Amino acid sequence: MNCETCQELIHDLIDGSINERDEFTLNTHLKECLDCHSVRQDLASIMGFCRTQRGQYEAPPNEQAMWLRIRNVIEAELPGKVVSNTESKPTFLGRLMGRTWELTLPQLAASTVAIVLLVSLSTVVGLRRFGGYGVQPNPPQVEASNINERIFQRQQVIDYWKQRIELNKAHWSAENRAKFERSLRSLDETIQILKDDLNRNPHDDISYEMLTVSMDSQLTLLRDYVDL
Amino acid sequence: MKTRFLPWRSSSRAGVLAVGAILAITAASFSVTAQQRLSKRYPAGQNVRIELRNISGTIIVESWNKNEIRLSATIESKGTNVTPRQINESFVIDVMSDNRGRGDVGDINFKLQVPVNSSIDLETRRGDIKVADIRSGLVRAHVSSEGDIELTNVSALHVIAQNVIGNIFFDGEFSRGGTYEFKSNKGDITIRIPGDSDFRLVAASPARRIALNDFWNNNFKTQDGRKYVGDVGDGRSSVSVTNFSGQITFMRR
Repeated sequence: MNCETCQELIHDLIDGSINERDEFTLNTHLKECLDCHSVRQDLASIMGFCRTQRGQYEAPPNEQAMWLRIRNVIEAELPGKVVSNTESKPTFLGRLMGRTWELTLPQLAASTVAIVLLVSLSTVVGLRRFGGYGVQPNPPQVEASNINERIFQRQQVIDYWKQRIELNKAHWSAENRAKFERSLRSLDETIQILKDDLNRNPHDDISYEMLTVSMDSQLTLLRDYVDL
Repeated sequence: MKTRFLPWRSSSRAGVLAVGAILAITAASFSVTAQQRLSKRYPAGQNVRIELRNISGTIIVESWNKNEIRLSATIESKGTNVTPRQINESFVIDVMSDNRGRGDVGDINFKLQVPVNSSIDLETRRGDIKVADIRSGLVRAHVSSEGDIELTNVSALHVIAQNVIGNIFFDGEFSRGGTYEFKSNKGDITIRIPGDSDFRLVAASPARRIALNDFWNNNFKTQDGRKYVGDVGDGRSSVSVTNFSGQITFMRR
């Protein structure tokens, strides 16, 4: 006999509903197993205490009926929402998650093959439908945001140099200042036109290319003049 | 005959004006004489590299049939330093470095006569650049702001001409395997080359002002007239022309 069976039989022994054969086997195990013996002792003590305190802690005559009545009272007092929660049927996902899956090896292999086939089929259909094989280009929104980010960073560098150069301008000759400012303005206008073009059409490669060239030219102009 | 004299007040006013005029003429003549003139000759090899970094003023570079460099310069402001240095095969003039901390030193107009095979690298913040009769590895002309660039009878492996406002004119030949880059924001770019030139062209002008003339062929690809990409002949050299608001013109030499 193992300990699990023994401890189940201890309850029957204490209740007085054990048969002779099980009682013999149990007693034999209890003599050999110290743990089960102590469990029996504990249970016997609890039951002994309950018997001595019978007046105060008398068990209800029909315990199951009592709990049913209590539950009915609670349900009658609580709003319908709580009741419906307790009474609601488990969801599909809940049942699925709560379920234990037991598959044989052939079933497992068949399931795997089915999943692989399904994934392959959906991939092929997806590639044919959305532009052929190979690496798919970034979505337009992602490309546009990358371009905007690059332009923004470049513009920040230009703004930094513009601020730096403002301090030096006072030392230049009037002619140098005039020609510098005219060139800067010319490039500013170009950059603004190209930015507007790009806002209208974010995928206009030529406008982006020209914008990069113009911004580089402006950066060169500013760097060339900053030491003057 | 009666002679009428001017009243005292009028005569004194005329005298003041006369003195003012004399002073003005004297000041003008001083300003002319205050200009420094520099003229020097430096021995050089056949393949010398010329590097000139100017702030403002005209730069003219021409070849001559001598293995030496002749430098002529007109310096507007008194006390401006121009100190040419010869380092190995390079002849370097850096006005910015020579006058660091002095601020704006005014115009310096340079004229350099150099051996025909000299490599030329020129920069100025503003002012025109002219290069003529050079056959070498490099001709670079960079104007940071305003100034025309004129490269005449130039045959170099690498040519770079760039300004923000001003015209660019190239008259010369494209060498096999060479690279040629012309860039302006506001100004016309004109390229005059032999009719049998072979090159791969990338020309961009958002203003749609590109005229390939005799060099046009059906292999050119264009994106709504703003950019042309294509080969002329076997495309042995690479030519890039970018102009935002001016005209790009190709002409047969």
